[in-house]
Amino acid sequence: MREKKIVKKVFYHLFVLLFGFVMIYPVLWMISGSFKDNGEILRGTLSLIPQSSKISNYNTGWKGFGGTTFATFFKNSLFVTTIATFGTVISSSLVAYSFSRIKFKGRKLWFTFMLATMMLPGQVIMIPQYLIYYRFGLVPGYVPLILPYFCGQAFFIYQMMQFMQGIPRELDEAAKIDGCSKYGIYSKIILPLLKPAIVTTIIIQFYWKWDDYMGPLLYLSRPQSYTASIAIKLFADSTSVTDYGAMFAMSTLSLIPVFLIFLFFNKYLVEGIGTSGLKG
Amino acid sequence: MGDKTKTKADSLSMLINNDNVVGHIFAAPFIFGFICFSFIPICMSLYYAFTDYSLGNKVAVFVGLKNFLMLFKDEVFLKSISKTLQYVLIAVPLKLTFALLVAFLLTRKSRMVTFYRSLYYVPSLVGGSVAVALVWKQLFARKGLFNSVLMDLGLKKINWFGSEALAIYPLILMAVWQFGSSMIIFAAGLKEIPTTYYEASEIDGANGFQRFFKITLPCLSPIILYNLVMQTISAFMTFTQAFIITGGGPNNSTMLYALNVYNQAFKYNNMGYACAMSWVMLIVMSLITLVIFRTSKFWVFSESEG
Amino acid sequence: MKKKLVGIMMAATMIVGSLAGCGSQTDSTTANDAQTKDVAEASTKEETAATEDKADDTNSDEPITLRMAWWGSQDRHDKTIAAIELYESLNPNVTIEYEYYSFDDYFTKLKTLVASDEVWDVFQLGGNFPMYLDKIYPLDEFIATGVVDVSKISEANLKTTRETDGTQLGLTNGINTYGIAYDPAIFEEAGAAIPTDDWTWEDYQKAADTITEKLGIFGSSTFLTSDFIAGCSTYIGQQGDLGQYSFFNLDLTGMGFDNPQMLAPFIQMRADMIKKGSYPDAGASAEVTNIENDFLVTGEAAMTWVAVNQFPTIYNVCAEQGRELALAPLPKVVAGGNSGTLIQSSQMLCVSQDSEHKEAAAAFISWFENDVDCNNILQAERGIPANENVREALSASSTKGQQIMYNYVDSVSKNPTPKEYNVLSPDGQDQVQDNYLNYIQQVASGEITAEEAAEKTYADAQAIFK
Repeated sequence: MREKKIVKKVFYHLFVLLFGFVMIYPVLWMISGSFKDNGEILRGTLSLIPQSSKISNYNTGWKGFGGTTFATFFKNSLFVTTIATFGTVISSSLVAYSFSRIKFKGRKLWFTFMLATMMLPGQVIMIPQYLIYYRFGLVPGYVPLILPYFCGQAFFIYQMMQFMQGIPRELDEAAKIDGCSKYGIYSKIILPLLKPAIVTTIIIQFYWKWDDYMGPLLYLSRPQSYTASIAIKLFADSTSVTDYGAMFAMSTLSLIPVFLIFLFFNKYLVEGIGTSGLKG
Repeated sequence: MGDKTKTKADSLSMLINNDNVVGHIFAAPFIFGFICFSFIPICMSLYYAFTDYSLGNKVAVFVGLKNFLMLFKDEVFLKSISKTLQYVLIAVPLKLTFALLVAFLLTRKSRMVTFYRSLYYVPSLVGGSVAVALVWKQLFARKGLFNSVLMDLGLKKINWFGSEALAIYPLILMAVWQFGSSMIIFAAGLKEIPTTYYEASEIDGANGFQRFFKITLPCLSPIILYNLVMQTISAFMTFTQAFIITGGGPNNSTMLYALNVYNQAFKYNNMGYACAMSWVMLIVMSLITLVIFRTSKFWVFSESEG
Repeated sequence: MKKKLVGIMMAATMIVGSLAGCGSQTDSTTANDAQTKDVAEASTKEETAATEDKADDTNSDEPITLRMAWWGSQDRHDKTIAAIELYESLNPNVTIEYEYYSFDDYFTKLKTLVASDEVWDVFQLGGNFPMYLDKIYPLDEFIATGVVDVSKISEANLKTTRETDGTQLGLTNGINTYGIAYDPAIFEEAGAAIPTDDWTWEDYQKAADTITEKLGIFGSSTFLTSDFIAGCSTYIGQQGDLGQYSFFNLDLTGMGFDNPQMLAPFIQMRADMIKKGSYPDAGASAEVTNIENDFLVTGEAAMTWVAVNQFPTIYNVCAEQGRELALAPLPKVVAGGNSGTLIQSSQMLCVSQDSEHKEAAAAFISWFENDVDCNNILQAERGIPANENVREALSASSTKGQQIMYNYVDSVSKNPTPKEYNVLSPDGQDQVQDNYLNYIQQVASGEITAEEAAEKTYADAQAIFK
């Protein structure tokens, strides 16, 4: 019996590891590409061990363009991403609470509008949207990149709504009897119990915003204000020469912040079933 | 804050705690953002759909239903619809099953779990970056990893991006590969399931399978519904992969709908036409979402009805 | 709660605003732009008066800020910025705020700026610019007043950035033309006939097929969409008498030929080559993302299309592998017939209609294209300089690959050219081009015939003008 259990366990770990390797092979390939020269990358060798081992990709990449280094680009990205993520959590949880727990007139209509905003491709509303920010005098600048995130993000509003469904209504009722208003229920009951949803929001929104490049492309203009996502794309120009090594090097560096955020918040999702849920 | 309002005059307290008022106060950020930044652009795109508007030329001439009529004669559009449906129908179920399976496997109480989950999550972090798209292209190239493996197995190599029937699969595989965000949401959902349920079922002598189908799935169903709706919508909107990896080829066999919209709006400079296309798809997507919601009544288990 | 929220939002907005504002000149100037837009528009109407005003504004020390943008690679960014810094040191009253992007992003950004009437004072455009015509402020008046110096730029080179009605839209950053780069060693190894200055499409197809049969590699490679412009469109110009046909007519209002079947032989040849494996199919050509990993460079093809300003790059890469590339003209329909090849502009710099300092912008463009010191920094990275003096100065220090390119362009410019020709392409050509490439695949897979593909391509092109 015990042996069988051990065999099962070994099998489980072996499988998860092996499959995990297959999963991250492309990422490893990219990281190893950051040490290869252009020729080796383009030849497309499958080996993960670079022949050329060019550390210099990191130097040329980091140097950036015309005196603006990646230190600036990463700083800009960090700034925009952190504030936008913070905004998403606050605003989405507020809106989600109203949609899922308060029966007010127009709730269904607003919810429908919210889903509809996700169904129109960004390409057709991007220019009219740009013109609005432009009329407000907010272009170029970081405001158009951040402000919408304080107005709730449909993806996360709906996610939090679904998580709220899992929170028993009895808790609301009990709090109401204790004299709690809706505001109190939100801040004292819902918000603390929403922790897993908030953590996923932080993890996902952070890397989405970090990777977003259409927004920064439209709303920023001075190279000193570019985010890393645009800067990385600057290496790849289809009409002239592309420095793949440098691009891979900076793409690799760009993974680090999102990965750290994930590692830091992930622990809230894996405390183990035993300690989780509604202990009451 | 609840305490403060209690001391105020009754009428004011009534007003502030009236569901209609509270609801609007909580929903205010969304309502503000929607009215200021989404409503006008959405209306404009609807108006443009009936004009010959293009980005270079600012005077939009009203052309009635012409754009819509042209759509149904446009070979590329019709092909893009069927290819997009194929993409959505294959990629979404695969991605969700995979995400749920991995999330479930990785809820075991073990120190390795954090490590494993990171391992599986990393692909999603790299997103649609140029570097990864390039890697993906290399993997499926004529001399890429997949073909080397096939050859080692003694099989014939496949010209992935040269075949109309196959070119969409590398894109689907990439979508499935980046299942991380769904997985994280499932993982959070699993964590929310009260342990008492499991304890009770253990006393009743339920085995692992029974527990999964009788407790895990029903408790997770709101989250499954959520992931299904969101992944369906975002699969319809897939753009970057097709744009960078295949550019829609060969012979438009990976011309996903969002890429077609981009081409018409920006490359071919027919913004009016692109808007018409978007609105047709908006209707298609709403119908699909509606169907999902309607059927959800039969399989979504809700703790709090209403 | 609402108050709190509004407070948070306000605070965040303010922080953001102040951070975005710190050390940022762009913000303040754009705000000014917005305010003074109406004034600027009014002043364009009174063109002459405005120009007189501006005539002193370049000479005076009044500080001027110009916005400029371009696309390209890291190398181009660094070189252009160095040139800009040189200009600023020579003209202390001029500050140039620059932006740079990759090709696709540049045009996305440009389209948004067109929509909001704030196109950069100095901007870069390629061959396909009819959609931006309204945004280009022609240089003619500045050439007349001497602000823009064209004395050392030949008529033919000026013509590359001129409309058929004679309006000078901008100055070219570099002239360019198409050719076929090939590896003579591979031709010899396969026993295929080496391209001559007078070779035909038949010779071309035969050589490619021979190479594929003997060596199992592609006879010819493809790069991006060159097949339409360099191939199909040139093919039409090569038929009939000199200047009798062109793909689009001279004023870009319709087609330049009547019989769609004139396209059929070319499409048939392409499809046959794809079937034989002597030309890459869609899957293989999708792997070519960049001139540097073209199959000619990787050794998987014996020749490829090039816009000749790309030739020095691939020449150098191949030289490192111990191979020596050569450059041949495009094949012809009949030996001794029209070449159909014209000198074109790779890109040009233009002054924007939205600019408040049009004259200063024009003065900068003139310096950028004519100044030897400036071009010593730029090193002809954008194409062959149009100014004779600059070109002479640069060719003294040119590499072998550049030398081949210079000689090739010289020989092309000696070709007889039609009296009237148009080097611009109409808005909407991209769609024709994309469809054309798909039709070729459909012919290769047997879905449609070459004749049908020709009809469809012709119909697509005609539809542009409806």
